[in-house]
Amino acid sequence: MTAAAPAPIAGLDVPDSTDATLGLLRELRRGHVRKQAASLAYWLYVGGLVLLIYGGWLVSAVVLALRHPPPAAADAVALQRGVPAGLCALALALMAALVWDARWRGPVTVGQPTADWLLDTPVHRGRLLRPRFRTSAVTRLLVAAVAGLVPAALLLSAGLSGVSARSPGHSVRLAGAAMLSTALLAVLGTGLAALAEARPGGPPRAATPVAALAAVAAAVIAAIAATAGLPSAVSTILLWSGPWGWAAQGPVALSGGAAPFWPAATVLLAAVAAAAVIAGDRAAATVPAAALRARARAIGSMSAAVANLDNRGVGAAYRAATGGYSKIRPTLPMPLRRELVLPWRDLTALLRAPSRLAWATLLALGAVGLGALAVHAPHSALLPLAGALALGYVAAASLCEGARLDADDTRRSALLPFRYDSLPLWHAIVPCLVLAVVGGVPAAILAVAAGRAALVAVVAVVILVLVGGALVNAYRGAFEGESLASGFETPFGNTSGILVVSWYLTGPVLAAGPLILLCDRALTARPGGVTTVVVLSLALAAWLASIAARRARRLRSS
Amino acid sequence: MTGQPTPRPLLALAGVSRSYGALQALKPLDLTVAAGRCVAFLGVNGSGKSTLLRIAAGRDTPTTGQVSYDGRPLQEDALVTRTEIAVVGDARSAYPDLTVREHLLLGAVAHGAGSRAPDLADAAMTQCRLADHANSLPGWLSSGQRQALQLAAVFVRPRRLLILDEPEQRLDPGARRWLAEVLVAEKSRGVALLLATHHVELAEAVADEAIVLLDGAVAGRGTPDEAMAALR
Repeated sequence: MTAAAPAPIAGLDVPDSTDATLGLLRELRRGHVRKQAASLAYWLYVGGLVLLIYGGWLVSAVVLALRHPPPAAADAVALQRGVPAGLCALALALMAALVWDARWRGPVTVGQPTADWLLDTPVHRGRLLRPRFRTSAVTRLLVAAVAGLVPAALLLSAGLSGVSARSPGHSVRLAGAAMLSTALLAVLGTGLAALAEARPGGPPRAATPVAALAAVAAAVIAAIAATAGLPSAVSTILLWSGPWGWAAQGPVALSGGAAPFWPAATVLLAAVAAAAVIAGDRAAATVPAAALRARARAIGSMSAAVANLDNRGVGAAYRAATGGYSKIRPTLPMPLRRELVLPWRDLTALLRAPSRLAWATLLALGAVGLGALAVHAPHSALLPLAGALALGYVAAASLCEGARLDADDTRRSALLPFRYDSLPLWHAIVPCLVLAVVGGVPAAILAVAAGRAALVAVVAVVILVLVGGALVNAYRGAFEGESLASGFETPFGNTSGILVVSWYLTGPVLAAGPLILLCDRALTARPGGVTTVVVLSLALAAWLASIAARRARRLRSS
Repeated sequence: MTGQPTPRPLLALAGVSRSYGALQALKPLDLTVAAGRCVAFLGVNGSGKSTLLRIAAGRDTPTTGQVSYDGRPLQEDALVTRTEIAVVGDARSAYPDLTVREHLLLGAVAHGAGSRAPDLADAAMTQCRLADHANSLPGWLSSGQRQALQLAAVFVRPRRLLILDEPEQRLDPGARRWLAEVLVAEKSRGVALLLATHHVELAEAVADEAIVLLDGAVAGRGTPDEAMAALR
């Protein structure tokens, strides 16, 4: 089982125990590993079965699309102009995401027991950590190769499979090029992520925000190129500006764009990816024990939260791991009236989490943009309306953190001079006011400018309904795992899945579902019709408030 | 010249402090500990004991000052640190499928015990009163037994400096007396000890020097009695 006289480590009179230790660990955990492999195989089987039963049509549609790509869409030429920058944006976003991931997890990780039992031993770090890096690299390569089908499918569905050479084989080549490029990008990103993990202050980590900004800039360039057109030199410069551009060249060329030297670009990308993965492999051995321990803890907390379907726990684990809590601590004057206590608390919390406020503002502005689109095309408004309400709901939900904190632990509000089931109403004040400012005012300005001043009232009640829906979800309580066993069998499967979905989606569905129909009607109705919509929306908001209060009462008594 | 020669310090902290943003968790402090000596830290929760021990173990970087081990700057990932400094700190997680004995075997082998590993594991289990739980999985152990496993993990490995952050946690009074005896025996083997504890009796039984920390600053220093008197 153990070597009698291990060779000493050079420079120190310590026997090298690496082989013996890793061998012993493998031997002791053989049963566990076998069990894990069986479990993985089972889940792969279940996943495959689900895909076959419920997603079979999707697979056949993809195969059909590859065999018979659709003809070029009417705006194919415009789309074609935006493809190079658009693909560069996707590539930059993928690389930035992979390196960003190294802030808290990264490709080099060990489990908590390994961190606690092996990191403070003379076991060779390289031989402990490199296999983990290699596993990560291979996993990411495979996942990215599959994900590469997405841009290929988007290009094909827009009819951009090459104007002169549209054939089944050509589509497959396009899909293959996209898969290869994405896989190589993932390998490159994984190598850079390992470097970032080993040297937190090093260039890859410092360059991540720049890459994210560059991705946004490339997306803007793509939009401008598609709508107004840009000189072809811009695309050429982007396509040769770095690995992101080299990765885009294959799909660009095979979808009818101009990238004549794409094989050379792919070779360049492969060379850079190989260099990055070799550097990452070397760096894996030097990841500090403190970082490995912190990552092991973060992954442990996050895994536990995921297993309990506790998405707030996932967020908390992520923030704890990335140090994502704001250091800004503004203080508002204490309120003198008791009615202002909860709004004061919610507003203070919001000011101390400026990213939450910024995120809500961005989402609200996105919702306003989609809403404006719906106003301009009132007879095909359903899709932009659905998008606007979805964004608006997420903005409202992100502003309801105070309510969620009270719902997480009912003891938090025990000292407040309010009935627990009245808290949702108090917690609605700040989200409604903030949404009115960041989304309502711009929406009202646009409505008046478009000569639809009556819609200002609709915007106001929409805010109330969305916040009501967010509060319904905020007071849903923890997910009860045993309810998974309370479903019953139907020809389409067990109904317990519906329970999970409804646990997550009751609030948004109850709020946004009726709102889509009401808003659609408001866009086409006369002023009198708008009044009806406003009254119905107010009734909907009141109903949602009563559900939130009922849920709060149940939470308190449980 | 009647005084004993001052032994060469194994661990030396010079002007070490630690701040987290505006909060100064540990104010500048000098400290040395030599082989076979024990320095104990006493103080209320949040007084800076654990911060100091993390720095002494190389697991945290001081904001100011230097830490040296055996005359060289201390680095957690250095082989000498991994080989010679043992830490009993936050609850150590365990492989859910390995027994107590298997964990200790793994620790011993990882530290190069080779064919002596089974004997070391068995001796550590006996010493830490875990012999009856040799084949227990970690999930079956009480919190006190888990703490005993942490201590046993130290006894299967080589060590010149032993850093203990509240090792008496979750131990019953009898086990705490046993712990004091074990730590005295460690000192007599030449192991240097840094001990943070809430139990004055444990500090009195083991420590040669005690430091009382209050809000990150030294509030008393000397023998355990003197340090506590200074605090009062």
